[in-house]
Amino acid sequence: MSDETRGTGTPVTSDPAISDPATEGAAAPAADGTGSLATTGLTKAFGGVTALDAATVTFRHGLVNALIGPNGSGKTTFFNCVTGMIRPDSGRTSYRGADITRRAPHAIARAGIGRTFQLCRVFPRMSALDNVLAAARPGGLWRGLRGARSRAEVDLARGWLTRLGIEHLADVEARNMSWGQQKLLELAGVLMSGPETVLLDEPAGGVNPALLDRIGSLVRELNAEGRTFVIVEHNMDLVMSISDHVVVFDRGRPIAEGPPSVIRSDERVLGAYLGV
Amino acid sequence: MPSASDPTRAHRLGGPLRAVAILALAAAVLSFPSWAPNPYILSAGVVVLNYAVLSTSWNFVGGFTGYISLGHGALAGLGGYATGLLVVRAGLPSFVALAAATLLVAAVAVPIGYAALRVRGASFVIVSIALVLILLLVAQSWASLTGGSRGLVVPRPFPGLLRPEHHRIFFYLFAALLALALLVWWLVDRSRFGLGLKAIREDEDKAESLGTPTFAYKLVVFVVSAGFTGLAGGLYALWFGDLDPVFQFSILTGSYLVLMALLGGVRQLFGPLVGALVVGVGLEYFKVEFGNTPLHLAATGLLLALVVLFMPDGVLPAVGALADRFLRPAQSSIREVTAAELREQRDTAPPGADRAADPPTELPVGAVDGRSGKEGP
Repeated sequence: MSDETRGTGTPVTSDPAISDPATEGAAAPAADGTGSLATTGLTKAFGGVTALDAATVTFRHGLVNALIGPNGSGKTTFFNCVTGMIRPDSGRTSYRGADITRRAPHAIARAGIGRTFQLCRVFPRMSALDNVLAAARPGGLWRGLRGARSRAEVDLARGWLTRLGIEHLADVEARNMSWGQQKLLELAGVLMSGPETVLLDEPAGGVNPALLDRIGSLVRELNAEGRTFVIVEHNMDLVMSISDHVVVFDRGRPIAEGPPSVIRSDERVLGAYLGV
Repeated sequence: MPSASDPTRAHRLGGPLRAVAILALAAAVLSFPSWAPNPYILSAGVVVLNYAVLSTSWNFVGGFTGYISLGHGALAGLGGYATGLLVVRAGLPSFVALAAATLLVAAVAVPIGYAALRVRGASFVIVSIALVLILLLVAQSWASLTGGSRGLVVPRPFPGLLRPEHHRIFFYLFAALLALALLVWWLVDRSRFGLGLKAIREDEDKAESLGTPTFAYKLVVFVVSAGFTGLAGGLYALWFGDLDPVFQFSILTGSYLVLMALLGGVRQLFGPLVGALVVGVGLEYFKVEFGNTPLHLAATGLLLALVVLFMPDGVLPAVGALADRFLRPAQSSIREVTAAELREQRDTAPPGADRAADPPTELPVGAVDGRSGKEGP
């Protein structure tokens, strides 16, 4: 599928029944293509293994960015460093011009960066609805003492469950849901937290083809509403069909970047990744 | 039992049935001093209520965040000694000293929590044990202040009263404190703050990544828990009137609190209370029967092992599930219910909605854990 057909291949539908959860929390900035999430010389070693080797990357605001590379090339470590879950040995991360390198993960989340995990993480012994409600912005201790199930927030949470097609599971505990359902639930929670930039770690991992389509078109819809995406993914069909910009990692640093059509024929990429 | 974390369970036991059980329990507790056959039994009732308050206080940390503290016995001891010393050394009126001691324990809990809550799991348990041992050493060694191993005699707040009347008053004071602790736990349980704490219990890193300031949440609830624990410890000091470091700063006390909460059910409002009734009465009975031998400890340990093996969620959820089986035989299995409901809902769902939702039977329940560590390099 070429870049030109991608736009028509994914029908953009929005549910008018929802009171637009999209605009809640996330302002809809123009897809200006300027730098949004950027790292300079980001380095992280585990023992003798250098997972990130002075990685300098800039992801564009308002676009669907893809981050690809062979296993062990540092993609997930990159996510973990950027979101503050592990501390880089050196280098800096900035988001929308502000330095976020040393900030706590929750502060980075509140700055507008949400993420999913490679092996999807939900709160197993909470209902789907509570999983999403738990992601609502806490808003200080005093507000925190209010009931967790305020009308507005429950509506918003149900809106996200509906949008992801799992509204009928609202009262089911997450641990009783299937893998695919849990992945959708995790995404619903992340979206509830109102990020303007969403990092997805292997959204296609272990999901069936129908669900894959659904996730792909959802990403495009959410992007059309103004969210920036950075997607780590091994499924090349998905990457090529939904992304605007692709960055290729090998051995902890970017070796190529560009639009999907260019990346697909880049020799370094073919050598490092596609094994040709 | 009311719990915001599991709406499926909220309407399991019929509401009226639950209300009747709660009212019966409250009536039994409040009328206990009238039908207690002798002052000893009444004093045992005070001990059990004290355990109920302590265990409910412990459950602010243990139940919501899943951090298992064995050090809460030391926080109670600290409240007891602070109250006693403020009365004896500073000459404060008993209940002024109690209030001051409560604030003091809450204040001390800030640096303790700041240090201890940085580690999780088994490490946190060990740090909390260290707290007990340190405070025990201090209380024993600093004899010029605490009286050391000779103990500390705390004057009674109501010197003119006969012993049974003294027990009766403190029984109601502990009952009031228990009601307050339960009320605050209930308020936290249904709040956004409480939902954040439960998210920490489920998956702390995940909660953090969604924007919950997990460390601040843990610290706040730890301080609240310590405040209630210190208050109960201080009230105990005023009632019992004689403090000994070995009993005030005891790992055993902390373990009892954990046992009670686990036995009753840490996700339940009344779990620790029910656990305290069972274990507290059991402890008193074992002491009377085998008090001269270590057998009463062995019996308690056996109880803990049985609970962990057969009722990992505690007595209350187990009883609730049992009652359910009798009340609604068709719904004895959660999985069947879920699958049937899903099938029905999938049939009535608008086209396209089911595309996203995999058939629930595709994966066996429990096959997917959904949790993981971070990926390596």
